[in-house]
Amino acid sequence: MKGAEVTTLTIPARLEEDANPRPLPWRRMAWVTWRHHRIALGGVAVFLGALAVWLWRVGLQLHHAYAAAIDCHPAGSPACGELIFNFDATGGMLKGGFVLQPVPALIGAFVGPLVLAYELETGTFRYAWTQAFGRWRWTLAKLVMLGIAVTAIAGAFSVLVSWYYQPYLTPGRLYDPASPLHHWLFDLRGVAFAAWTLTAFTMGALAGMLIRRTVPAIVATLAGYTGLAVVVGVVLRANYQPASHFWRVQWIEGGGLLALSALLIAVTVWLVHRRAA
Amino acid sequence: MTALTAPTRPAEGASLRPLPWRRMVWVSWRHHRIALGGVAVFLGALAVWLWIAGLQLHHAYVAAAACHPSNSAACQNLIINFQSTNVILKGGFVLQPVPALIGAFVGAPMLARELETGTFRYAWTQGFGRWRWTLAKLVLIGVAVAGVAGAFSVLFSWYYQPYLATGNGTVFSSPSPLSPGLFDLRGVAFAAWTLAAFAMGALAGMLVRRVVPAIVATLAAYAGLALLAGNVLRQHYLTPLVAKGSNLPGSAWVMSGWWTKGGKFAFGGRPPISLLQRLCPASFVTGPGGGIGIKGGAGAPTTCLVQHGYTQWSDYQPASHFWPFQWIEGGGLLALSVLLIAVTVWLVRRRVA
Repeated sequence: MKGAEVTTLTIPARLEEDANPRPLPWRRMAWVTWRHHRIALGGVAVFLGALAVWLWRVGLQLHHAYAAAIDCHPAGSPACGELIFNFDATGGMLKGGFVLQPVPALIGAFVGPLVLAYELETGTFRYAWTQAFGRWRWTLAKLVMLGIAVTAIAGAFSVLVSWYYQPYLTPGRLYDPASPLHHWLFDLRGVAFAAWTLTAFTMGALAGMLIRRTVPAIVATLAGYTGLAVVVGVVLRANYQPASHFWRVQWIEGGGLLALSALLIAVTVWLVHRRAA
Repeated sequence: MTALTAPTRPAEGASLRPLPWRRMVWVSWRHHRIALGGVAVFLGALAVWLWIAGLQLHHAYVAAAACHPSNSAACQNLIINFQSTNVILKGGFVLQPVPALIGAFVGAPMLARELETGTFRYAWTQGFGRWRWTLAKLVLIGVAVAGVAGAFSVLFSWYYQPYLATGNGTVFSSPSPLSPGLFDLRGVAFAAWTLAAFAMGALAGMLVRRVVPAIVATLAAYAGLALLAGNVLRQHYLTPLVAKGSNLPGSAWVMSGWWTKGGKFAFGGRPPISLLQRLCPASFVTGPGGGIGIKGGAGAPTTCLVQHGYTQWSDYQPASHFWPFQWIEGGGLLALSVLLIAVTVWLVRRRVA
């Protein structure tokens, strides 16, 4: 926009300039993305915040019970047995991590389809896609920014989850520790939780572009995510690996999911680009 | 002869014509056939899975139950095989979200979608009247959803039958039919929870007026109500029975336990280990690694405490309370659903279009 004062009235010159597009205002897209999806992002924050408060409160009890059990001496005495039993009885529903499995699917399914299905369903895409920014850049910018935001929030949350489950995974003399590669624990920790959330989000975005209606797209995302998670957990991720393979398997799974997410975003953007407005 | 006397029409219009309820069935079907089809596909896929898994489970159960003598190594292997079949379905927790999903995805869009897209302006100005329109749709779809869920829960009952069959106590420990994961999948409770989720969704849609936030609100509210019912309310539906001693039936849902001595309260819950060590040192044995084991089976400390004049008490809900509890919970949820639908219809009636 520099030199706008001079060229304001020279209309013929503008057409020449438009032939090669101006540098793109990516920063403004961040603002637009935030304005369009602040309710969804706020919802994710409230949901994970409530879960975090719960995990924090139960986690403090769990860590106290664990510390008391591990400090107990002599380890074989009945009093110590009592403390181990007490530690084992703490945690309730959170034990094993099963109850946290749907979290990435819920985040992805409720944020992802809003990006395209909602615009297509309500017709606002006619306005959004005719902006100077260009429709495919508009879509790419939104998907990348929201994807990064959702992944970062999920990554921060999974640090808390890792802290929570630490006592179960510490190799110690109390009892057999759970394997960090166990189905229900593996994908809540490390980079996997954030990667699964990103994948769910991009699945939601593509489902929204294909189905063009929000609620069916949400349902399709939940179904697709469940299928993928079952295939990866039961078939692809080799069982009975030693615990020392934890990080290697994390990077393989995280990398694979990141590649899948990039592919899904690319297909979505290509569909937007190709679609006759 | 009065075909052309137009002035008589307004007089007739003042008292409304009989309502075309039957046509509303057609309208409800046309508007919500995709949602109902989605429910059918979802439950159909679940049914196929449950059916395949259930056949395995029933075969494993028959093999284990028919084995004789039951304490032989071969029979123990069959029991372990049965216990490790379909671990993911065991306890029923994985199926708990089903009513919430059906209710949220069918109930919440009922009004929210019309309000969000603006089609309510057309729908609510039909001759049928806006509140009758809403009532007819909610009742018809609610009945359909509850009916499908009720039929589906018969399959759950069949699936979980091996765990709950009487006479299991001698073979393996069976869960109580009142235990939190199983109670609300069977009997009338599953259909009632589905109806309640649907009614919650409809009201959330009317209040929030946007589909996706209404779905989220429904899921949150349902989770809250289900946790409240399972952890707090259900155990108080009927006064629990009190049992003296440790010979409770295996199917009992135990609420709490305590011990008395000489008619006075001694301690609650499990016996403290320090007390056991003082009174019954003979019950303990020190293992090779320095660990403490219990000599003479897990019941030995209890027997020892009884010999020292302690009495064990438990309060519990017996398995025979299953159907009373089902009717209490089902009736309560039905009343809640009626109330929620009534509030929704009242809000529709009151709303300035």
